[in-house]
Amino acid sequence: MITKKIFITFIFISQLLLSNSYSVEPDEILQNPKQELRARNISKYIRCMVCQNQSIDESDAPLAKDLRILIRNQIKDGKNDEEIYKFLTDRYGDFILLKPAFKLNTLALWLLPFVFVLVGIFIVFFHNKKSKKI
Amino acid sequence: MKKNIFIVSFIFFILILLVFFYLLTIERNPTELPSNLLNKNVPKFEADSLIKKEKFISSEEFGNEIVLVNFFATWCRPCLEEHNYIKRFSNEEKIRIIGINYKDNKKAAINWLSKLGNPYSNIPIDKDGRVAIDWGVYGIPETFVITSKGIIKYRHVGPITEKVYKKINLLIEKIE
Repeated sequence: MITKKIFITFIFISQLLLSNSYSVEPDEILQNPKQELRARNISKYIRCMVCQNQSIDESDAPLAKDLRILIRNQIKDGKNDEEIYKFLTDRYGDFILLKPAFKLNTLALWLLPFVFVLVGIFIVFFHNKKSKKI
Repeated sequence: MKKNIFIVSFIFFILILLVFFYLLTIERNPTELPSNLLNKNVPKFEADSLIKKEKFISSEEFGNEIVLVNFFATWCRPCLEEHNYIKRFSNEEKIRIIGINYKDNKKAAINWLSKLGNPYSNIPIDKDGRVAIDWGVYGIPETFVITSKGIIKYRHVGPITEKVYKKINLLIEKIE
């Protein structure tokens, strides 16, 4: 009975750990740990265009692998993060960024939540005033 | 005053509803994205050719007539499905077709074309998929329409169907 419990716990914990797994393969990893960390940080914010709701850091799709290698090559070539993001958005558009840029055409996306909060506060305030009168 | 606020918020609410209804009813496929390269020049690249001895140099191939660029591979099932449409395009005088052979086996590609017929005037080889990245390709087959000035006018993701075939033909007539 106890062994069964331990077994179930083991499965449960290993599943939790697995859910945090990444798709970077050993042959992709850069020897310079600083450069590798930069590559990982960029990859986390780049959408896998094939699976669309995963970053290329998590995706097993061949295109994701190609892009991971390409990012690493560009880092080795001495490109900065901005240049790498620009290279990718020039080809795949803003959609490739998992976090949309703060631009004129994404203004609504960024600001509407705050507008709604303000409207909400206004409604609550107005409602309170009304109920006080009654 | 209170009545006014009520009316304004009601109109606002209806407007939001209308926007949502509009987004629901317009014909769109959220997985199909417009290419970021639309109305831009074709990416420059050089590659070995599958059918010619000379290297494929993009600056020499685009900018003279309307060109259809089709990314294909023998391992790609939808490419087989659309092959007849590509052949139909090749029968038209106005256009030239360039097939980019994506991550494929050279021998397999040559066999595939000799069996099914070769509609392509030239076939640059994209062995590691690097050319496809420059074109913003994310899954083959993908087809691009290039104007006689070397500008990308249209991108279709997925196999060409009768509907897409007609759409591309209409577009070619328009840009001619």
